[in-house]
Amino acid sequence: MLRAALLRSHIRKQCRSYVRPTSQVSAEPYGHLPTSQSPITPRMNFINSVTPDGTQIPTYRVLDGVGQLLDGAELPELDEAFARKIYENMVQLPIVDNLMNNVQRQGKISFYMTAHGEEATMIGSAAALANDDEILGQYREMGTLLWRGFGLDNVMAQCFGNHQDTSTKGKQMPVHFSSKEYHFHTISSPLATQVPQAAGVGYAIKRDPNRRGKNCAAVYFGEGAASEGDFHAGMLLASTIPSPTLFIARNNGFAISTPASEQYHGDGIAARGPGYGIDTLRVDGNDVLAVLSGIREARRRCIEQGRGVLVEAMSYRVGHHSTSDDSFAYRPRQEVEDRKRIDNPIARYRKFLEARKWWDEEEEEELKDRLKKDVMKAFKKHETMQRHEVKEMFEDVYGGEMPWNIKEQREELKALLKKYGKDWEPWRSELKKHKGEGKELLEDKSS
Amino acid sequence: MFAPSKLTQASRRQLALLQAARRWESTSGTKAPPAGGHLPSIATSAFLRQTRDSSLRTPGLRWADEDHAGPPSNALGGRETRKMNLYQAVRDAMSIALTKDDSAIVFGEDVAFGGVFRCTMGLAEEFGRERVFNTPLTEQGIAGFGIGVASMGQTAIAEIQFADYIYPAFDQLVNEAAKFRFRSGGQYSAGGLTVRCPTMSVGHGGLYHSQSPEGYFMGAAGLKLVIPRSPIQAKGLLLSAIRDPNPVIFMEPKILYRSSVEQVPIDDFEIPLGRAETLTQGSDLTLLTWGTPIYHCETALHMLANPPAPVAKHVPESLRKAKIELIDLRTILPWDVETVAESVNRTGRLVIVHEASKTGGVGGEISAEIQKRCFLKLDAPVKRVTGWDTPVPMQYEKFYIPDALRILDAMVETLSY
Ligand SMILES: Cc1ncc(C[n+]2csc(CCOP(=O)(O)OP(=O)(O)O)c2C)c(N)n1
Ligand SMILES: [Mg+2]
Repeated sequence: MLRAALLRSHIRKQCRSYVRPTSQVSAEPYGHLPTSQSPITPRMNFINSVTPDGTQIPTYRVLDGVGQLLDGAELPELDEAFARKIYENMVQLPIVDNLMNNVQRQGKISFYMTAHGEEATMIGSAAALANDDEILGQYREMGTLLWRGFGLDNVMAQCFGNHQDTSTKGKQMPVHFSSKEYHFHTISSPLATQVPQAAGVGYAIKRDPNRRGKNCAAVYFGEGAASEGDFHAGMLLASTIPSPTLFIARNNGFAISTPASEQYHGDGIAARGPGYGIDTLRVDGNDVLAVLSGIREARRRCIEQGRGVLVEAMSYRVGHHSTSDDSFAYRPRQEVEDRKRIDNPIARYRKFLEARKWWDEEEEEELKDRLKKDVMKAFKKHETMQRHEVKEMFEDVYGGEMPWNIKEQREELKALLKKYGKDWEPWRSELKKHKGEGKELLEDKSS
Repeated sequence: MFAPSKLTQASRRQLALLQAARRWESTSGTKAPPAGGHLPSIATSAFLRQTRDSSLRTPGLRWADEDHAGPPSNALGGRETRKMNLYQAVRDAMSIALTKDDSAIVFGEDVAFGGVFRCTMGLAEEFGRERVFNTPLTEQGIAGFGIGVASMGQTAIAEIQFADYIYPAFDQLVNEAAKFRFRSGGQYSAGGLTVRCPTMSVGHGGLYHSQSPEGYFMGAAGLKLVIPRSPIQAKGLLLSAIRDPNPVIFMEPKILYRSSVEQVPIDDFEIPLGRAETLTQGSDLTLLTWGTPIYHCETALHMLANPPAPVAKHVPESLRKAKIELIDLRTILPWDVETVAESVNRTGRLVIVHEASKTGGVGGEISAEIQKRCFLKLDAPVKRVTGWDTPVPMQYEKFYIPDALRILDAMVETLSY
């Protein structure tokens, strides 16, 4: 017994010597573990919260439901022109979405995904980033590209997969954009793969003297995708191997049919940030000024500390998951209607602008009119445009020399088209859809 | 055959052609389709069993609801069938598994509301959310969880939403499920695990909604891999897969979910794993495939026997009576080498069709084994009709996925080699 008591006091003394000579001494009467700052306590105390009082992580909001400044909230730096640019981009998004959704229904494109309900998250975050920050998106982030000036032509070209599509040269499904010019990395359907990639992008930025301290990698992902192992890997990497990586979780309540309540049992995605030792904020994703302000500060910290920062933007997926989905099979129509009416991010922001006399009814009409015309014009231009040349199919598998197998297979297709291209109806009509109608391949003398 | 042949290659080829032609003249030939030559589509496929009688007479079908002690009975009296498409048949199989095996659970992304392809429709309501449930979005988690359940001797039926998204689970499937039995000296096994996933192309899925990843699993000894072609096949093979003592990956061709319809026996039955099925008998060429391309092959057979006018000039008269043996491999791992080798030893020619890329595709493995077993009987090199060695390119898919014409061309080339 004596020995044990002696041993205890010895260990205690030893442990105390690890305590920094600060006021912490009194807060840690028993000292702390030798290898960490974890204070020793005689009380058994399970925890299941990242807030000291066990409440949920709060949601940062600037504007209330009718567009007025919340008591105690601070307005982000914002002049009239910038404020209007944000609004115009928010209004444009559903106009593009509605048209493309209908175009898909008419069978003119195979697939589409809308961002209905997430306009404030998309545009607010895009507005808070520098235009040359690297964006790694999931698939619903077209709004961030449009904010940067990608343009409707590029959107249409990609969705129609025509020969002006520089995003994927007709190789990927609609909404799988990519643009080096606009610092928008190539979208991939497999979920969350972009998250650890973002940590690598952030690290590369940090190592580049021209971009270090100026840029960050901003990665978007849904609350569903955040369940993938890749999400956790990415967060872990950006904190442990510090890199300016800004994690933007779009929590829109659903992953296809699965409600967020079945996606996690903890306090959303935000609760995971502190687990990886990174600064975290939850914002009202339907309040564009909260998103703007929150992402700005997150970005500042991210670049200053050179370490990952997490922002969870709370919104609601008003649209169906995609054109392949009918969400009324798993959620009541009324719920969607209610959300649209009660918490419309565009209407909320418009009230704010109108109260400042930065916007009025007349301008609203004018804007919508103009945007609809622009979208229609771009659509008409791209609707009937031919696809890339058939030969393009074999390109970009490898850089450098094309390997023998692909060369031979291209020759095989060439021979088949030569033999049957004119005779076999299914191929003849398919060839007509491509620029050059296969001639470039047939006349190719390169091999 | 390494003995230097006296004949030049050209004259040997000519000889082979002559011999072959003679053989075909002696056969009665495939029955020509009606004048006007309507080509079969999936909807009109002769391989789909549209009547109760033909359904109940599905080769290899074994009733699983009889007393196993007694000899298997072939009595068809009292057996009923119902019209089902492939997703309904898959659902029916899972419903039977859940009913008969209290330990069975069904889980995956979005399965509770019925799954994005409707395969689990109503199962959560019928069997409760403890047994049929949504998982969070994590394929590696789904596979690992399923292995854990199976290691406890229970039955885990997992869904991966698309075969294209099975890769996050690759480690769990290849390093864990496949090796569980071996590495524990037979004490543990993941045999109770079945992983279902929709596979193959639909024509506009691009890189990540069109893949046929079966080839990636060929080296994973310990796993089985099954791809059904029709509703009856799907139900019988899935029930076998669920009850097989090994972990099974069950890939369902997604274009067939709705388009393939059969009268499916409503009772509990199994179709054995590891057995190919010969769909048409022939003596001149073996055409081997699985899943969706079965139907392109069927079309190609008709085109060969009775070529539509525009391509007729490319199909020599002498070849039109060729008798083609079409085989559905069904189980890809371990594959039925006996059936395939026996067939090729009779026909001397083999054409393999799959949607996956050629390099690293299952066709390569089969070709190597068949050339070893049938070397002296081969009249032509084994020919593969496959996707090209590129990812699946959305706007180019019609020139990427093997279609009836490419299969026809391969048969003509192989027959006239
Ligand atoms: C690895 C992987 N698994 C499954 C899918 C199928 N899938 C596509 S989107 C989606 C839901 C994603 O939900 P969330 O991340 O919340 O994003 P949201 O659609 O709500 O924007 C699923 C399951 C996929 N694309 N990739
Ligand atoms: Mg979501």
